[in-house]
Amino acid sequence: MRVLVCGVGYRFLRDGALGPYMSDTLSARATERVEVEDLGYHPVGFTQNLQERPDYDRIVFVAAVDRGRAPGTIKAYRYDHCLPSSKEVQERVGDSVTGSISLDNLLIVSEAFKALPDDVWVVEVEPADETWGEGFSPIVEAKLPEITETIWNLTKP
Amino acid sequence: MCFKNLPIEFDSQGNATLKQGVANPYTYTETPAPTPIEDDPERMRELFARNGAIRRVDFDPVTRVAGALAFHTVVDLDSREVLETASMATLFRGYEVILQGRDPRDAINISSRACGVCGGVHATTSALACEMAFGISPPPMGVVARNLLLSTEYLYDHPIHLSLLAGPDFSEEAVRETNPEIWTRAENTRTQGREVHGYEFMSELMTDLTPLTGKLYLEGLYYTRLAREAYVLIGGKYPHPHTVVPGGVSTTIDPSDLNEIMLRVVKYFDYGRKTVAIWNDIAEFFYDVNPKYKDIGTRPKNMVEPGQWDDPFAYDASYENCDDWGRRRWATPGVLVDGELVTTSLQMVNAGVEEFVEHAFYEEWTGNGSGNEYYKFPTDPAGNPLSPYHPWNKETIPKPTATSWKEKYSWSTAPRWDRMAMETGAYSRIWTAAMTPNYRQSNYIEPTGHSLKIHLPKASLPNTEIEWKIPEVWGAFERNRARAYCILYTAAIAYDNLLLAYDLLRKGGPDAKMSTPFKVPKDHRIGVGLWSAGRGYLTHHMEIDKGVIKNYQILTPSTWMASPKDPFGNPGPYEEAVMATPLLENYEKPEDFKGIDVLRAIRSFDPCMPCTTHIHSDDRTITREIISCACGATGDHEH
Repeated sequence: MRVLVCGVGYRFLRDGALGPYMSDTLSARATERVEVEDLGYHPVGFTQNLQERPDYDRIVFVAAVDRGRAPGTIKAYRYDHCLPSSKEVQERVGDSVTGSISLDNLLIVSEAFKALPDDVWVVEVEPADETWGEGFSPIVEAKLPEITETIWNLTKP
Repeated sequence: MCFKNLPIEFDSQGNATLKQGVANPYTYTETPAPTPIEDDPERMRELFARNGAIRRVDFDPVTRVAGALAFHTVVDLDSREVLETASMATLFRGYEVILQGRDPRDAINISSRACGVCGGVHATTSALACEMAFGISPPPMGVVARNLLLSTEYLYDHPIHLSLLAGPDFSEEAVRETNPEIWTRAENTRTQGREVHGYEFMSELMTDLTPLTGKLYLEGLYYTRLAREAYVLIGGKYPHPHTVVPGGVSTTIDPSDLNEIMLRVVKYFDYGRKTVAIWNDIAEFFYDVNPKYKDIGTRPKNMVEPGQWDDPFAYDASYENCDDWGRRRWATPGVLVDGELVTTSLQMVNAGVEEFVEHAFYEEWTGNGSGNEYYKFPTDPAGNPLSPYHPWNKETIPKPTATSWKEKYSWSTAPRWDRMAMETGAYSRIWTAAMTPNYRQSNYIEPTGHSLKIHLPKASLPNTEIEWKIPEVWGAFERNRARAYCILYTAAIAYDNLLLAYDLLRKGGPDAKMSTPFKVPKDHRIGVGLWSAGRGYLTHHMEIDKGVIKNYQILTPSTWMASPKDPFGNPGPYEEAVMATPLLENYEKPEDFKGIDVLRAIRSFDPCMPCTTHIHSDDRTITREIISCACGATGDHEH
């Protein structure tokens, strides 16, 4: 079972940099079966890369996403592959090629171009602080071990 | 004498000096902005009495542009005129603040994050500023490597704009929705470029511009990939390269890398020819349908261009010699006023720049607004006069307030050259080169004074000569058309540089080294990177002291073009272009109005509002982009 773990986001944005941080951290655990990638690049590029690789059986995305939940909340869910209107997809492609990196853009664009496998999991963490700088907020910092294990558990068959 | 409005004159040797006998030479009297229609009840009543078709139409956000742009208009749907415009950069780009106190080398990596498309050019522009401040320059191979990075970045940028951002405005879907009569005509109009692009009728071409499914849209996506693949062979990563350093490039290049890049670059010869044929057909078809389409997005032919693609044997990074090495660039520096080339001096391009904040969310930094207080740099390093509003003298002091069309309404400053609003872009690049006398030796580029000939080597299609002619009219269609030619212009320059790179590798020796060693100086210095993004003019002005950045100022193409009004009462280029735009869309009721002509005008500039990163400090609330779709977030596990 081939699994790809992807950290989505920007560096230097404190909790907003969770995705790239997880990619860096989990790279040490990567195996022949589980690949880890820093998705600090745009979704169209990722989609094109996926289209040229052998299929993955599962992809796990991890990102800090502000959805108004309690800071530090970890939410893991299976992606349901639903797409918004084609107009919105088109706008998301525009956002993507002009450099916007976000979990939602990534899911929508790569799904629209049929690049994703059926089995896609998402681990979202509610950020407490997305201001410029390095290091995490205390609340997210305290959750790092739990986040790491949540992601890694999702790589198991 | 290139300045009409700044207090600068030239002696018999051509040296610039401040005009003698002028007290407070840079002082100006602010011309109040016109009262917005909504704030003028008498005018509102008068307009409504004339007809009931006056509408406020705000495009917020303007989609299919990079970043956060909002555009306010008041339109008269009866007379089909735009009555009022205001361009708003809705997010604060705080890199100038973030960079203060940091090691100057950090600016390369941090400023790169200012944009998700043009990260590489920000990194390079920052490296150029460092080189000038440090007093170093790269070996020839380092310069050539940078030129190749730049070329592939443009080969990424132009297809994005033409296929994914502007192209959909001319697609079947858009045309059927806004001007169904044009669609009918397109079904019966044969194209002129069918032998090159393969489309017999305009309607077929428009169908393939359709977003997500159209062949031209998908082909554009493919070509963005090819360019990125070529870029990372030197840059390591895109859009934020790992290898751009002061003094060159921190990687090695071998013939195999060059072959990989060459294989990709030559594909743009055929793709560029096809793209040129498509955008020629689009412009000519719409002009034929209604000549008023020439007025969409029209404004004076005023453009500023710092130039780029350095000559590896001329560039020495010094400000003193920048006129010489600037004129040796493949894209030459210059300023166009009413279509006339008024200077090719990089020092004059730089000395003519000022930024104003009367209508932007910043505090004026000269103290009393008159510019007469002491300021740090009354001259540049070559002794040319500088304004207190010049970027080397500028401070970034954010001050958000409520939006008011009469007062402050944008996070963009109002840059001006000789106190005139300027546009910049792929077209200013090709236009300035076309008019530059004594253009550098190139096997593939030939300026004629009224056009630019590109001698294309053979790819899948035979070798040929393509000629871009300086347009008589200037507007949205010509911007897009010129950008299509710039794919070929860029590919030809990339080819020139690839051949140079092979030659340098073959000869070996010090010229084939990639970078120059350096130490960060501890004394007080300044530097500037004068370069361009795909979308045009890009400068980084840097001041360092004690080994850290004291001041850093980034001036981007969209700051020039999305600018609000200036203190002299002049609108910014987007504002001016939309004011001049006739509303040719077909609508029966005001509710049907889509604003396609306004959007075509704005998008033709290739807006890029670099803004992804944000800051928040004390009471200065800085907004940021939140994409809040929770599609699929139904939650199987919650911790």
